[in-house]
Amino acid sequence: MAVLLVLAFLVAAGLAWVLRGANGADVPAKAVTIAADRLPAHRRDWGRAMAAELTQIQGRAIRWRFAAGVLRVAAFPPPSHRNRVLAVTVVGLLAAAGATVAAAIEVPGMSVFAAVLGLLLCGYAAAVTARSTRPRWGTLRTLVGAVAMAGVAAAIGTVVRIASAHPAATTDSGHVFAILFALILTGYVALGLTPPGHGDDANTVLWWALAAALASGATWVLVALAAPATAIGVIGFLSPVGAAAVLAASAGAAATTASRTAGAQAGLLTVVLSAPVHFAVGLTAVLQVHHYALTTPYDVAAYPHSGFPDVASYLLSDAVAGNIIGLVLYPIPLLALALLGAAAGTGLHRRGRRATRRPA
Amino acid sequence: MTHARRPSAQTVAVLQALAEDPSQWRYGYDLCTQLGLQAGSMYPILIRLADRGLLETSWETERVPGRPARHLYRLTGAGRAYASSAAAAARAASPAPATGARRPRPRLEGA
Repeated sequence: MAVLLVLAFLVAAGLAWVLRGANGADVPAKAVTIAADRLPAHRRDWGRAMAAELTQIQGRAIRWRFAAGVLRVAAFPPPSHRNRVLAVTVVGLLAAAGATVAAAIEVPGMSVFAAVLGLLLCGYAAAVTARSTRPRWGTLRTLVGAVAMAGVAAAIGTVVRIASAHPAATTDSGHVFAILFALILTGYVALGLTPPGHGDDANTVLWWALAAALASGATWVLVALAAPATAIGVIGFLSPVGAAAVLAASAGAAATTASRTAGAQAGLLTVVLSAPVHFAVGLTAVLQVHHYALTTPYDVAAYPHSGFPDVASYLLSDAVAGNIIGLVLYPIPLLALALLGAAAGTGLHRRGRRATRRPA
Repeated sequence: MTHARRPSAQTVAVLQALAEDPSQWRYGYDLCTQLGLQAGSMYPILIRLADRGLLETSWETERVPGRPARHLYRLTGAGRAYASSAAAAARAASPAPATGARRPRPRLEGA
């Protein structure tokens, strides 16, 4: 509960920061400007049109109602090609149904997860298709998308392996963790496939994030191979490797582009690309343990009443749940680090420029 | 392809409002207040009509200090023809219309 309250507070604080009044603009005006900027390129004129209309509207309630309508249009702009959206939706629904049936047969404990993830990804695919006229992906963006998908696939694959080897470990009677896992993975997929950053700095953001994520992933694999596996709940949740990768990417991108926003975006993308890899490597290490033993007094006391058939299922269930929560919480401290790194990077850039200007 | 789908009642109302004086440029919020439609319904309709070549769009050329230029709309020739046929189809679909039953309620609030 405390975690949820902290999360809610952070989200509210973030929204307040994003929508804070600037240049005399009230919250509806700010919201409409942000929403208009998020419209697909071929609809951006309409965003400007709606933002211009708002300047004529008087009355707080009417302005809020108009802004709510604009947010709706920005979230679901009319698709240019309805048939394409329909085709993607139908294919997505069929794939989701197929995945759910396959999960129900092979790993029944994960059928709810498969259904929810399938539906969410189908919705995401339909939304992306509706928003874009023709997706243009360069090599770099394709690479970033592939790494994002590989990380998410590895995370799912690891949980499937656990569910196959120890079905009781992934039993989730309330389906809370199944739904949470599906939601958070969809978020990672969405951010990985449609990363933040536009304009000239976009490629720099992608390069730094990709390099940092690959370096941190390789380091985690090496550490997992070198260190003896232990069955603890949340494996290195606040990993120094992850923190270093985020700092390096955000500071590097900010120093290269002289943009704090680009630095923060690179840090965010590093988190998005590396978190599922961290999840997969950590849980794989736990799965490699040959002899599961209760090591803490709490576990020794709790296990007999837990209803798990064996110690392995008990510890793996704890590890899976802990790591899913980790996927939710992982970005929060790292995003703070990304902001610090971005600030440091722009500072470095300024210092570098001053040094080059100084006469010899 | 343009006439493949029957327009919604809201789309017909927008077409009729624009067809009242086809030569006159209208702006979005003006249509919203006239028809009692929210921006979230009005703009998708305008966007779809423009996509289908039924609506002509333009930015206000006359500069008014203190506010940005507005986006203006009026029906194209095809739009006028479509508005007539859509209105006729709507009348045919309701054989005994009560007076003003489907007419959008004008609103006086706002700009």
